[in-house]
Amino acid sequence: MNERIATQRDGLLAFSHHHLRRDVKWNLAQNFASRKLQPMERAAEGLANMLAAEKPAFLADERIAYIRTVKQIPDLYTEEEMTALRAKAYYHEKGVVFNFSPDFGSTIKAGLLARKQEIQARMKRATDDNDQEGQEFLASALCGINAVLDLADRYRQAAVAAGRDELAKLLARVPAYGASTFHEALQFLRILHYTLWCEGEYHVGIGRFDQYIYPYLKADLDAGRISKDEAYDLLAEFFLSFNRDSDLYVGVQQGDNGQTLMLGGCTRDGQDAYNLLTSMCLEVCCELKLIDPKINLRITPRTPLSVLELATQLTKQGLGFPQYSNDDVVIPALVKFGYELEDARDYSVAACWEFIIPGCGMDIPNIGAFSMPRMVDTVMRSSKAKTFDDFMADVRQQTRAEADKLEASLSNVDMLPGPFASVLCTGRIDTARDVSRGNKYNNFGVHGTGLATAADSLMAIKQLVFTQKRLTLTELAAAVDNNFNGQPELLAATRYDVPKMGNDNDEVDALGTALLDAFADAWAGRRNCRGGIWRAGTGSAMYYIWHANELPASPDGRLKGHPFPANYAPSLNVRVKGPMSVVKSFTKEHLQRVCNGGPLTLEIHDSAFREADGIRKVAQLVQFFAQQGGHQLQLNAVNRDRLKEAQKHPEAYRNLIVRVWGWSGYFIELDKEYQDHVIQRVEMSMGS
Amino acid sequence: MSRGLIFEVREFCLHDGPGIRTTVFFKGCPLRCPWCHNPEGLSFAPQLLIAPQSCVHCGACKRVCPRQPGEPCRACGACSKVCPQGCRRLCGVWREPAELAAELLRDRDFFLNNGGGISFSGGEPLAQAEFLLELCPLLKPVHLAMETSGYAPLATYQRVVEHIDLVFQDLKHADPTEHRRLTGVDNAPILRNLAWLKESGHAFIARIPLIPGVTDSEDNQRRCADLLSGPSGMLRVELLPYHLGAGSKYAMAGLKYQPGFDEHAAVQPRPDLFQDRGLKCVVM
Repeated sequence: MNERIATQRDGLLAFSHHHLRRDVKWNLAQNFASRKLQPMERAAEGLANMLAAEKPAFLADERIAYIRTVKQIPDLYTEEEMTALRAKAYYHEKGVVFNFSPDFGSTIKAGLLARKQEIQARMKRATDDNDQEGQEFLASALCGINAVLDLADRYRQAAVAAGRDELAKLLARVPAYGASTFHEALQFLRILHYTLWCEGEYHVGIGRFDQYIYPYLKADLDAGRISKDEAYDLLAEFFLSFNRDSDLYVGVQQGDNGQTLMLGGCTRDGQDAYNLLTSMCLEVCCELKLIDPKINLRITPRTPLSVLELATQLTKQGLGFPQYSNDDVVIPALVKFGYELEDARDYSVAACWEFIIPGCGMDIPNIGAFSMPRMVDTVMRSSKAKTFDDFMADVRQQTRAEADKLEASLSNVDMLPGPFASVLCTGRIDTARDVSRGNKYNNFGVHGTGLATAADSLMAIKQLVFTQKRLTLTELAAAVDNNFNGQPELLAATRYDVPKMGNDNDEVDALGTALLDAFADAWAGRRNCRGGIWRAGTGSAMYYIWHANELPASPDGRLKGHPFPANYAPSLNVRVKGPMSVVKSFTKEHLQRVCNGGPLTLEIHDSAFREADGIRKVAQLVQFFAQQGGHQLQLNAVNRDRLKEAQKHPEAYRNLIVRVWGWSGYFIELDKEYQDHVIQRVEMSMGS
Repeated sequence: MSRGLIFEVREFCLHDGPGIRTTVFFKGCPLRCPWCHNPEGLSFAPQLLIAPQSCVHCGACKRVCPRQPGEPCRACGACSKVCPQGCRRLCGVWREPAELAAELLRDRDFFLNNGGGISFSGGEPLAQAEFLLELCPLLKPVHLAMETSGYAPLATYQRVVEHIDLVFQDLKHADPTEHRRLTGVDNAPILRNLAWLKESGHAFIARIPLIPGVTDSEDNQRRCADLLSGPSGMLRVELLPYHLGAGSKYAMAGLKYQPGFDEHAAVQPRPDLFQDRGLKCVVM
């Protein structure tokens, strides 16, 4: 990191740009309501107003401009209007276009003026066809482009006035015209991403950045227009910019902003897509140590260890990424879901880990969530099964019943328009329809929460009720309702005598597989109300807390109030032999059938990363994961906060291994003073 | 067929040899080094480990205990099965070679393809040599490593090392009197085995724990360096400075940690003394 970037980074962390911001009390919603404006017009006027309110601002030494100066993005509907809308249809989350990844590359290449021409030409046809909706959409899209061009020109003039010649030159070119250099391409992308936030979209994935930006870098390097050092410098500044306004994205946890970036993988025709920019991105993130952009890396079992070692260096920073996905599993899975092979090869991720296709996908990959433990709980209370096989049949039936229920509740899903977002999506101008009306792919994704808790619970039922006949289902349900009070022996049996997922035990792992198969079967063949399919997945999002709170204790010995494991991971109260066994337990499932997304999550103490040798070993673990056929992996270097949490809630951190000297121990088994010592060391190592 | 008393099988041990490894911990050790960090590996019998921090006093362990008043704990493990908090753990399980090998070999292909393997640690693996000698052939051709004090009859040492691809040979103190005072045993068998190991050309790494005021003197490090110098298959010397934390598991094993030295004192690693003799040396 050179001094310029270090200074910018320090300034960012010290919020030194916050004085540029101002509060705006919008009353657009009331205005729109009184004028009875249609959604399409509101979207266009909303963006135009927001961008008009923005004032060009520059930071010292900045080479890529655009900063949010207006804190609030205007509401386009009054609360009463939203309530009325929601009474007529289901609007997911805020109801807008979100959790998607546009095709930034095509517009960066063409420029907004070219897009404008396309729209104008299409408008002629829409007028000739008397296509009312098409005309409204195209007019709004045009309005959005004009607003973007207007702000860019004000930025350019301000740059001229401020003597910022380089920026002025840059902004004379983009976003009006297609980018011709790496620098221009980055500035263009910054403007587009910034604009989508201003239109009210959120969780906008950056997509396959290393693919659509690399041609500019390569051309610059080949022509000798840029040195590699300068390219690093620009890339670092560009990545910094994702952290500049992210605190304004209120309503979610800081950091939960969906600014995901996908690296590596293969091209649309199946060639290896890893390039110089891929590794530059990993390296720059290692240096910046900031939470945005959130890096994903596509791998295969054949990915060179050197690439995985570079990625592991990033894991070492303790940011919780890169998140890995395995092309050998994900691409065939997407094809099975009905995606065309070329599109499947182009996959990226939504805000968290749901697999989506940039540009042509308008999936709602997080539309609902299934609580697997609740299904087991329900069947435990209702089943009259005499054998465990019959019990599992009841589980499968219940799974279908839950799917029926969810499907019925989501039979009328609508979305508010995003005309500028539509300009950046594939084919929307040509069809003259807003992307909110659908795109090539309109699938729904359903998370499966708490798989391990459910599988472990099933195993407890199988062993204690059906094999050992230690108690009946009714008695087990009573014990669960009573939070196992007064039955410590039973609680101990459920916790320690029954095998758990995560230890490569075939019997319990098979139950995990059966649950996921039932989950996939329950959705197979169903069409959603937007013409797509339903995709089952292994993610949990925040549901691992919510769904856990809906339940009392569970038959696996989890007590009331304790969470499920996040995503796809062993239960928190299970002691596992190590990461190899966890990987094996969680790769036996038919993952291609439940490939909505949702990573296996592994925690590795950050001391493991200290030496080159450790980096290589963690990288090999990633390779092992891919070889075993895992679909998605999130590795965490465990940090101080987790250790502090582990001190407070040791029962939830049984697997946390720490290196104490030339040896490792279970953190919770250490006396407090030693725990404190480890924490102190972690504090030191984190700063280094 | 012999049985082995094993107190843990742990995956992904990072400092026990090349690549990703699974380490088997042998229970029981003839030495009593005051800085030992694996006190549950000292005794040659199964024992109960108790971590009382999360005890909720439910009484399940007392209800199930078959012991008569005044009778010592036989480590039957009954209480460990009924404690809902997991406060009690039976440490040490008798394993048969074939059954243990089957468990370890579940990762065989990965070990073979990625330069990893299986390591033996403890306790002292050589103290259960017959078991180890039955186990090793079952694990081949997976790479095997062994961490050992080297305290064993020469013939035993030779027979086992023949099966081991990489030996981590401890050298705690060069002086026989000091060694006996510190560890309770003579270092003559260790030094004799070390001499053979060097002569054999077998691959090994020497590990020297640097205990403040105990083994980290310049004199000891110099004498260790002398012992290790000369032709051999030694890859490097690893100096392991003492870190706070060695005593953390004693209470759980019903023992008291009494190191008898100042835990907080800085150690004085002298890699130069080894390097001067042409030995590769790293401070861990």
